[in-house]
Amino acid sequence: MNMELVRNVPKGGFNFDNCKRNEMLLSSGFQHPKTVKTGTTIAGIIFKDGVILGADTRATEGPIVSDKNCSKIHYLAKNMYCCGAGTAADTEMTTDLIASQLEMHRLNTGRQVPVVAANTLLKQFLFRYQGHISAALVLGGVDKTGSYIYCIHPHGSTDKLPYATMGSGSLAAMSVFESRWKPDMTEEEGKLLVRDAIAAGVFNDLGSGSNIDLCVIRKDSVDYLRNYELANLKGKRHGDYRFKPGTTELVGKEEIIEVVPFEAFHKKLYGDETAEAMEVGA
Amino acid sequence: MASERYSFSLTTFSPSGKLVQLEYALAAVAAGATSVGIVASDGVVIATENKYKSPLYEEHSVHRVEPITDHIGMVYSGLVPDYRPLLKRARKMAQQYFLVYKEPMPVSQLVQQVANVMQEYTQSGGVRPFGVSLLICGWNNGKPYLFQCDPTGAFFAWKATALGKNAQSCKTYMEKRFNLQSNNSVSQSLDDAVVDAMRTLKGGFEGVMTKDNIEVGICTEKGFRRLTPTEIDDHLSNAN
Amino acid sequence: MSIMAYNGGCLVAMRGKNCVAIATDHRFGIQAQTISTDFEKVFQVNPRTFLGLVGLQTDILTVHDRIMFRKKLYEDRENREMTPEPFSAMISNFLYEHRFGPYFIEPVIAGLHPKTLEPFICNMDLIGCPNKPDDFVVAGTCSEQLYGMCETLWKEDLEPAELSEVISQAIVSAFDRDAISGWGATVYIIEKDKITKKQIKTRMD
Repeated sequence: MNMELVRNVPKGGFNFDNCKRNEMLLSSGFQHPKTVKTGTTIAGIIFKDGVILGADTRATEGPIVSDKNCSKIHYLAKNMYCCGAGTAADTEMTTDLIASQLEMHRLNTGRQVPVVAANTLLKQFLFRYQGHISAALVLGGVDKTGSYIYCIHPHGSTDKLPYATMGSGSLAAMSVFESRWKPDMTEEEGKLLVRDAIAAGVFNDLGSGSNIDLCVIRKDSVDYLRNYELANLKGKRHGDYRFKPGTTELVGKEEIIEVVPFEAFHKKLYGDETAEAMEVGA
Repeated sequence: MASERYSFSLTTFSPSGKLVQLEYALAAVAAGATSVGIVASDGVVIATENKYKSPLYEEHSVHRVEPITDHIGMVYSGLVPDYRPLLKRARKMAQQYFLVYKEPMPVSQLVQQVANVMQEYTQSGGVRPFGVSLLICGWNNGKPYLFQCDPTGAFFAWKATALGKNAQSCKTYMEKRFNLQSNNSVSQSLDDAVVDAMRTLKGGFEGVMTKDNIEVGICTEKGFRRLTPTEIDDHLSNAN
Repeated sequence: MSIMAYNGGCLVAMRGKNCVAIATDHRFGIQAQTISTDFEKVFQVNPRTFLGLVGLQTDILTVHDRIMFRKKLYEDRENREMTPEPFSAMISNFLYEHRFGPYFIEPVIAGLHPKTLEPFICNMDLIGCPNKPDDFVVAGTCSEQLYGMCETLWKEDLEPAELSEVISQAIVSAFDRDAISGWGATVYIIEKDKITKKQIKTRMD
């Protein structure tokens, strides 16, 4: 029986229908379009009580900044987060998928998932695609056996490290870690160090920019410090471009499309008390 | 092919139009441990017996009340081994839904999909129907929900219901007690509902009810969770 | 030349105060040859949700059909209208399914959440990486010009009438410097109780 027909949820997995056509189009001289990359500086360290992850917030499409404040520290589980560099869609989808698998693993085993399990799932997934899924990740988390930082490369190789950096700004960030990281740092020292490492990427690497995100993971608490530092504030504009209403010339009259009044629409969408309309029957 | 010889559906009509395999499946459910569910104004409770045949069993090692997602939980009456694959499937469905739409799966959607799976096992070849009925409870749209799924693939929404061994007497007890016909929505609080669920279970309970031989799950705005034995103990003192 | 620029076209969406706007040009061409000037790339998918698709025209049509197929199945299955967030998540998923053989389109979604009336804008690259900023999103062959115009003209808390002027001026100025976009434009202003559709007078060359 075709269960997809019954359930109507799109089938999982990649679809290769367009590959032949695209190959043909591209072989006739067209270029493959650019995808959004996160040039990126991402980093993570182990400190006394856990781990600290950091990331910049720039996404680029070639030389164009396509998102000035994107979020590169992805949720994996309550005790684990993962920074992503590379093709933005790949890091996003890969971490979402693994987060989902980790949650199922947690429910099916009834215990907190160890960080090493996330590392294994990620590396096996990436290895399966032989580097075609270009996600370079810094995984950080705390479980009952300790605090861990893993560096995961797009082809599926991983390193377990006390401090790690990834992305185009990794050299700048690593220079900060190499000179200043030491074991058993306090949280304040650690946050400052990661902040400085990311800032080194933001100001020296063109693929990284805008703000600094941090994520502090301790044994039983997490602080997701989104936009911990607004490293690059936009200057205040003194002039103001204003158009008087009616400046733009129209062709014909404007057309007003009435929308269902809000209350009625709301009722239709969310139902009133009794109208969770669905077929129930023996 | 040799395999085709065994791949016809076991669930075939009898001349009188009955599907006896399904009646047997429902009989397996009716022979299973009792479970009850009650919707309250601020949440929903599911509860069940979890009795051990011998004192040698390790208590609290196998659970009957299980979470599917943060906001949906489930309990069953019937055969344990048939429950587990359904539970796993339900968790996977909820995760798949979340991956696609980035919003939590509505309880009614999950119930429909689980029911679809159960229905498939009444028509497919080489399989038998599931020997379990499920009580699925959850919270979404700012409201509590309680559903029942049968081995036939049928599903129902309830304000309160019971499954298993003493289902009928439990339901009669609850009908009398709540007089649900008079008001459309359940007005009691969740704490009261927990105690009521325990009292309902107690009706047909053989032996003494303790924190170690029942399981209770609650679902509120904050999500679904199983009560700890200590919490059950607190409520039990009120139920007595 | 990029295959995304084969047919030309551009899109922009902006957030305003309790409103959103989305605008598209009208040109459909084959490289430098203009075929028609009434090809609108913005589709109303729900009372307060609009989807814009720009890129290879054949893929615009295919993706629109497939997205609508999935969206209608969702709505029939769940017996409720799809809000902008799950709608864009679904598109993102659809595009990522074709990660290794993508459709050559970039979507832009603009809408109001029907319950909270929160403005929603989102765009993606061709493999579905979502981008949901709180100012504006752009796509198409003159996206670079649009970035420049929007950065200059967009302000916080624009009222519907102001937003309409800002988005119109932004798209017109942007595609006047793009040979393969333009030939008329349509602007939609989405508010809680009405949607205003405006055809803008532009250069036709």
